[in-house]
Amino acid sequence: MDDLRKSIRNGSRTVEILRGISFDVAAGEFVAIVGSSGSGKSTLLGLLAGLDTPTAGNVILNGTAISYLPEDKLAEVRGKLIGFVFQSYQLIPTLTALENVLLPHELNAPANEQKAGRARALELLQAVGLGERAEHYPVQLSGGEQQRVALARAFILRPPIVLADEPTGNLDSKNGAHVMDLLLDLNQREGTTLVLVTHDPAVAAHATRVLTVRDGEVIADERKLVEQV
Amino acid sequence: MAALSWTTAARIASRELRASRGKFLFVILSVAIGVAALTGVRGFSTAFRQTLMVRARSILAGDLAARMFQQPSDAQQKQLEALTANGTKMTSVTEMAAMATAEHSLDPLLVALKAVDPSKYPFYGTVDLQPTMPLRQAIGGENVAVGDDLLIRLKLHVGDRIQLGDATLRIAAVVLSEPDRLSGSFAAGPRILLSQDQLEQTHLLAAGSRAGQRYLFMLPKRDDRAVAKLKTTLEGFLPEAQITDYRETNPAITMALDRATGVLSLVSLVALVLGAVGVAMAMRTHLLERMDSIAIMKSLGARSSHVLRIYLVQTVLLGLIGGAVGVALGVGVQLVLPLLLAKLLGITPELHIAASAIVAGLVTGLLTTLLFTMPPLLDIRGVRPILILRRNVDDLEEKGTAANLFARMKASFAQVVAGALILLGITLIATTLSDSKVVGRVFTIGLAAVLVVLLIASSVVLALLRRFLKSTRASLQPVVRHGLANLYRPGNPSAALLAAVGLGVMQIASVFFLSQALVKELKLSTRPTLPNVFLIDVAPTEVEGVTALLKAQPGVQGEPEMLPVVASRIIAVNGVKASELKLENFPKRMLQSISLTWVDEMPPGTKVVGGKFWHSGDPHPQVAIGQRMSERLHVQLGSYILFGAPGDPDHPINAEVTAIIKSDGQHAWSRSEFLLPKSALAGLPVVYYGGAHADPAHVGELQRALFAKYPTVTVINVAQAMETLRGVLLQVSLVVQFLAGFSIFAGLVILASAIAGTRYRRMREVVVLKTLGATRSRIAAIFSIEFATLGLIAGLVGLVFANLTVRVVLSRLDLDYHFLGWVNVLSLIAVMALTVLTGWLASYRVLGQKPLEVLREE
Repeated sequence: MDDLRKSIRNGSRTVEILRGISFDVAAGEFVAIVGSSGSGKSTLLGLLAGLDTPTAGNVILNGTAISYLPEDKLAEVRGKLIGFVFQSYQLIPTLTALENVLLPHELNAPANEQKAGRARALELLQAVGLGERAEHYPVQLSGGEQQRVALARAFILRPPIVLADEPTGNLDSKNGAHVMDLLLDLNQREGTTLVLVTHDPAVAAHATRVLTVRDGEVIADERKLVEQV
Repeated sequence: MAALSWTTAARIASRELRASRGKFLFVILSVAIGVAALTGVRGFSTAFRQTLMVRARSILAGDLAARMFQQPSDAQQKQLEALTANGTKMTSVTEMAAMATAEHSLDPLLVALKAVDPSKYPFYGTVDLQPTMPLRQAIGGENVAVGDDLLIRLKLHVGDRIQLGDATLRIAAVVLSEPDRLSGSFAAGPRILLSQDQLEQTHLLAAGSRAGQRYLFMLPKRDDRAVAKLKTTLEGFLPEAQITDYRETNPAITMALDRATGVLSLVSLVALVLGAVGVAMAMRTHLLERMDSIAIMKSLGARSSHVLRIYLVQTVLLGLIGGAVGVALGVGVQLVLPLLLAKLLGITPELHIAASAIVAGLVTGLLTTLLFTMPPLLDIRGVRPILILRRNVDDLEEKGTAANLFARMKASFAQVVAGALILLGITLIATTLSDSKVVGRVFTIGLAAVLVVLLIASSVVLALLRRFLKSTRASLQPVVRHGLANLYRPGNPSAALLAAVGLGVMQIASVFFLSQALVKELKLSTRPTLPNVFLIDVAPTEVEGVTALLKAQPGVQGEPEMLPVVASRIIAVNGVKASELKLENFPKRMLQSISLTWVDEMPPGTKVVGGKFWHSGDPHPQVAIGQRMSERLHVQLGSYILFGAPGDPDHPINAEVTAIIKSDGQHAWSRSEFLLPKSALAGLPVVYYGGAHADPAHVGELQRALFAKYPTVTVINVAQAMETLRGVLLQVSLVVQFLAGFSIFAGLVILASAIAGTRYRRMREVVVLKTLGATRSRIAAIFSIEFATLGLIAGLVGLVFANLTVRVVLSRLDLDYHFLGWVNVLSLIAVMALTVLTGWLASYRVLGQKPLEVLREE
C-alpha cells in the first residue's frame, strides 16, 4: 500500500475517505483491518482488491502496481491472485451452490482443467460442511450456509491472497463463529494471506496483525507475535 | 489467462436460463409476440394479397391482354406464337357486333359476339352459366350461351335456336357473368358467347370486318417482373395494340391493392419494430437485473469480454427460442385468421406457409434481438466490480478529468455506433420485408427521426423537470414531487421507456390513421350506389322518361346519371393532322370515333390534376381531357385539339386543353374522356348515355321494363361484374381493418409488457417507502404521476410523428390526409391511461408484498 488516497465527490462537496494510507502485508500474514462504520475500511479493501481505482497512490501486489491497470487486466489479477468473501455473501442467485463455487474456475481456468474444478469444488463444499447441499440455490440456504458457500468459492482457485469484508457481519454469533473457524481452517490449509475487514473485536482477535483505521488514516498497527509462534 | 471458451460461456448462460425460468419466459414471450405478429400479419397479408391478385387477374381473365382492332399480320402472328415457347399460354378472344334472329323469325337483333377457345378461356375466373355447367359443355358444336337480354328481346328460352350468319345454333345456357366483362369491349347488344370454330362457321368474320381481337396471356409463374417484360415485348411488335396487364385493368382494384399493400406492409413493419422494442426493453431490464451478478463475476476475475460472451450466448439463445415460439404462434395466427375471416369474407386465402417465411421470422427475431440488445450489452463493459461493496456508485466524482471525458466519449461513441447499426439493421429488414418500397423508405426515415427527437425530447424534458422541481420543491404536493422526481432518478429507465413508448405510440397511431384513411376511401368505392347498369342511345326526348322509369324501379338506388354525348372525331392536334400524329398505344382508327360530353360544372368524382376547370358560362372553346387520354395523344395544357362537328364539316371546334382530369371511376361520367363547355357544342346532334345502380337481382326486371317502353335504348349490364369488384374491395377494407386492429392490439400488449418489465426495479423503492409508513394508495399515486407524465410526453411526440408519417405515406399513396383533432386528443388520453394502468398492474404485486419478503431476497 503506497500512500493511498481516495475522495468522492458527493454533489458539490468532496469527501476524502482515505487520506494517505501506506502499509505492507507479508505473504502468509493474517491482517485484520478494524475501525468504526464510515472509517474507510471497506473502501480500503476495495482498493486492495482492485475493485476500484484510488484518487492517488497505488497498490502493489507481488511486485505489480495494480491500481491503474485497465479493467480487464485487473480482472485477470483478481482471478489469479485474490479470493473474496463479502459481508452479504454475493452469491449469484441463479446458480446452485456448486455452480457458484465453480464459477471462478470456469471463468479463469483453461478449458482442459474444467473437470478437475468440479472435484475441487465438491471437496471444498464438503470441507465447509455443505457436501449434501451442493445442488441448492442460494435462496434455499440460510445466511450462514450462504457464507460458507462463499468461503468455498474464495478458495477454489487456491489464490495466494484472500480478502474478506465483514464476513460475519450479517450472521448471528454462533453462525459467525462457525464461519470464522472455517475461514481460518481453510486459510491454514491453503497457506494463503488473509486480509479481513471487521468492526468486531472478537473476529479481529484471531488475526496476527491488527490495523486500526479512523477517518481515512491508519492510527494503530499491532502485531501479535505470540500467536505466530 | 485462458480465454473463456464458448462452451463454458454457453454452459454458464444456459444455467442462468434454467434457474430463473419465470423471468426469462417474459423475455422469450416479448420476442415471441413480436415475431408472431410479424410472421402472422405478413404471412396472412401475403396470402390474402395473392388471393386478391388472382381475383384481379380474373377481371382480365389473364395476366395480360393485348387488344387489337384488326387481325394481326402474319409476321405478328408468328411472333405471338413464339411467345408461347417458354410455357406462356395464349388464347384469343374475338369480339364483334353482328345481327341475330330467332330461328323462325325475321326480326334482326344487334348482338355482341364473343368467340373464345373454351379449352383455354378464361385463364383466371369462371364463366357462370345457368343452368350450371362447364363452359366447354355450353359452347361448341351447335351450342352457344347467350345473355338473358337476348332471351327477353327475341322471346326465346334455353333450348331454342337462333340464326347467326350462316349457322343455326342452339341456346344451351344463359351467361350470368363473365370474368372479363369489365375489361372487354362494351359492344352494344346482348351477348352471344361461342367458340372460335363456331364463329368461323357463321362466316361473319370476313376480311375487313370490324372485329376486335384480344389475346390473353398466362405466364407459367405469377411474377410481376415477367408480366412487365412480356408487356414491353408485346408493345414492341404490336404498336397499334392496347396492352393491359392485370394491374391496370381496373384502377379501383389496383389502387385499393396498392394502398392495401402499403398499409399492410407498414402494419407488419410496425409489428416488427414493436416486437423489437419489446425485446429491447425486456433484455434491458433483464441485463439491469443481472448487473449485480455481473459485478460479482467481474470481482471473481471475469473480464468484460467474458461477461459479454456469456450474455451474447444467452441473447442468441433467447432470440432463437423466442423466434421459434413466435414463428409457431405466427403460423397459428395464419391458420386461425383465415378460418375467422372465411365466414366474414366468404373467401379462404390460399394457405401455404412457406419455409422462407419461417426462416425470415427466425432470422428477424434473432437479428432484432441482437440489434436491440446491443446497447445494454455494451453497458456491461461499464459495470464496475466495486458495485458489490458500495451500491449505486455515482461516477460523478471524476467527471472533470480528461481521461474520464475520453472514456465517456468512447462509451457514448460505442452507443452511437450501436444506434446506427440498429437503424441500419431495421432499414435492411424493412426493405427486405416490405412489399412497398415507398412505405419501407418513409418508415425507416420516420423511425430514425422519431428516435432522435424522442431521445432529445426526453433529456430536455428530464432536465427541465429537474430544474422545475428545484425551484418549486417546497410548494409542490409531496406526492407530485416524488412522482416527478422518480422520472429522473438515477437508475430509472425513463429515457429508454420514453423512447419505447413514444415509438410504440407513433407506430400504433400511424397504423390506425393510415388504415382509417384507406378504409374511408374504400368505403367510397364500395358505395352501393355505383352505376352498374349503363344505358346507351337515349334520345334527348327520352331522357326525362327514362330517368323517371329508372327511379321508379324497385332495385334502383340513388339518382340515375344521364350525360349528353356528341359523336365526334379528332381532326388535328396542335395543327398536326390526325393521320400524322404519334400516339401512345392508341390506334389511329379510334381518333375517328370519339365521344364529347358537355358539362357546365365539374362532374362529380372528378379531380383536376393539371390546369383549371372552367366556370359555368365561359364561352371560350376549351376541353378538359382525361389524364390517360392526354398521355396517349401526347397533349399538354395549352395544346389545341380540333374536333370535327358532326353534320357540320365546315365548323370544326378548336378547343384549348385547359384542364387535365382524373376520375374516381365511381360515376357514369367517369367514362367521358373529353369534357367541353355546353356553349362549344351547342346545336350539335346529341344522344344521352345513362348510368344507374341497380340491385343485381333486379336488373332483369329493369331490362324488361325499359325494353317494353323504350325498345331503342340499349342496356349494358355489368351488375354482376361490379358486384365481384365491390366484394373484393370490401374484403380489402375488412382485412386492412382486421390486421390493423390485430397489430394495434399486439402493439399495446408489447408496450404494456415493456412498462411492466420495469417492475423489478421498483421493488426496493416500494419496500423502502412502505417501511417508512407510506400507504399503498400513496405509492400508487406517486407511480400514477410518474407514468402519466411519461405517457403524456411519449404520447405527444409519438402522435406528432404519426401524423407526419401518415401525411407523407398518404400523399405517396395518392390519398388525402385530414388531421383528426379529436382522435389525436383521445389517443393521447388513452396513452396516458395505458401507461398509468400498466404501471399500476406492474406494481400491484410489488405493492401487495410484505416488505420483509423483498428485503430477504435482496
